[in-house]
Amino acid sequence: MSPEFKIFNATELWQKETSLPSIPTFCQKVDNILGSDGVPLGSLTELLGLPGTGKTQMCLQLCASVQIPKALGGLNSEALFIDTNTNFVLDRFREILSASLLKCQKLLNLPLNANNEEALKKLHYVNAFGLEKFCALMHQLPKLVEEKNIRLIVIDSIAFPFKEGISTKQRTGLLFRQMAELQRLAVDKQIAVVLTNEMSTRLGLSSGTVVGSLGDAWAHRCNIRLLLSAPDDPCGDRLALLLKSNIAPEAVAPFKITKDGIRDVN
Amino acid sequence: MKYSAPLVDGLFLLSKSQTKKRFINTGIESLNAVLGGGIPVGYITELCGLAGSGKTQLGFQLAINCVRETENTILFVDTKGDFDAVRIQKILDNIGSSHQEMARALLKIEIVQIWTMEELIELFKKLKNKSVSIENLAMIIIDSLPCLMFQHFGDDNKIGLTYLNIFVNYCRSLCKNHEIGVLCINIQTRWVEQDITDYIDDKDQTRDITYVEKQNRCLGKYWQHIPAVIIFIDKLKLDKMRNNGFCVKATVLRSNEIILEQHCILTVDSLGVR
Repeated sequence: MSPEFKIFNATELWQKETSLPSIPTFCQKVDNILGSDGVPLGSLTELLGLPGTGKTQMCLQLCASVQIPKALGGLNSEALFIDTNTNFVLDRFREILSASLLKCQKLLNLPLNANNEEALKKLHYVNAFGLEKFCALMHQLPKLVEEKNIRLIVIDSIAFPFKEGISTKQRTGLLFRQMAELQRLAVDKQIAVVLTNEMSTRLGLSSGTVVGSLGDAWAHRCNIRLLLSAPDDPCGDRLALLLKSNIAPEAVAPFKITKDGIRDVN
Repeated sequence: MKYSAPLVDGLFLLSKSQTKKRFINTGIESLNAVLGGGIPVGYITELCGLAGSGKTQLGFQLAINCVRETENTILFVDTKGDFDAVRIQKILDNIGSSHQEMARALLKIEIVQIWTMEELIELFKKLKNKSVSIENLAMIIIDSLPCLMFQHFGDDNKIGLTYLNIFVNYCRSLCKNHEIGVLCINIQTRWVEQDITDYIDDKDQTRDITYVEKQNRCLGKYWQHIPAVIIFIDKLKLDKMRNNGFCVKATVLRSNEIILEQHCILTVDSLGVR
């Protein structure tokens, strides 16, 4: 493999970064704290949270948002959903997709049509269950993305394939290799990558015992880390906390999960 | 004689050191003070801290301060897609730079995206033999080295270590011959040790388990003694500040100058790092 790299000027990168929009979450407050009006292209965004905090819902919403037509400032592109843990529910995605389509049609004054069969073709789904299948898929990824108009790759969840059958050291090595290849692709083709991760408990840690799984080294890898939480009290708000970002300061935003997908709290 | 290392005397060394630029101004007074002048020219400097502690932000700021109001150019080696030109432009905008100043600063920051150790070594090799040359290069920032090195974690061979060694040698040679500073961003990880303090009579008393948090600079034993200067940054838990910012404590753990264990407090917010 012959190494290939190109030295850019910050001005050239500035033009590249500002030429395409981010993918909106449909919750303005969350978009705002991300600092880029949504999930930026070319970066790795990690969604953290306990079970039931809305990680998969957020992913499904983004898979619908990526289809927003260009006339509305969207990307009019397709999404690839890599499911490692059978989290994907088709009916739920259709619900969110229909709501998103109707909203766009309304804004564009088009005749309303909730039929989402055409739009469903713009979602590409892979069930990569188990470490071998996952690795083989990651290897194939550049080829898969080649002929499609993909702007979003979701991996739900990144931790699941690594739960057994691999030592911690090997896991770190493999993950960093895969992420380097994935981001090379993402930067090159201007694709947003969203990963979900679970929480784990580490007793005795000064910064709190519940932390994202895969360790401190992994915490360093993603460009953006967003922690989602569900309220204990049923009247409370769901919150999204920006833990780390290369562009925006730490901040909190409330959001809600409705039948139509992720929305702002009124 | 042709291939031997040259013999020089003390006076020669003195005159050389007096004419040479010794530091790169960080543009942050308190940081300059703890570093004894700035980022040293001719050496490897390490910037270390936990994820989200502001390492990349400090890296951005040093890049900006290094090129502002000077002829310097900087090379930012990005190994995880963290470089964001819009963020750089916003920092410049927030501190009141004119469009002209912004454009001039952005033109002097060069970025290269590197995804493997092989590519990094290839880059340094080309810089050394001048097949890639950057005018007025003052500093190279590598954000971050562990991202590349961790890819070799868990291998049965020592390839990762070999690459690191080759990289360090190129780095040192570049530093000396081109009179530049190299800033490597490293990360810190934590592990927890359990101490059971009460072994003997645990009939009535509950055992006291204390957890001791240990911190570790990454990249292994070989790397520990490579950097001439180590800046460690730690996020301080304070009340929310203006502009959603936060404070970090920067400690110099190791230095060429005789100032050890000194620290300064920096703020990180929309205006950058100060």
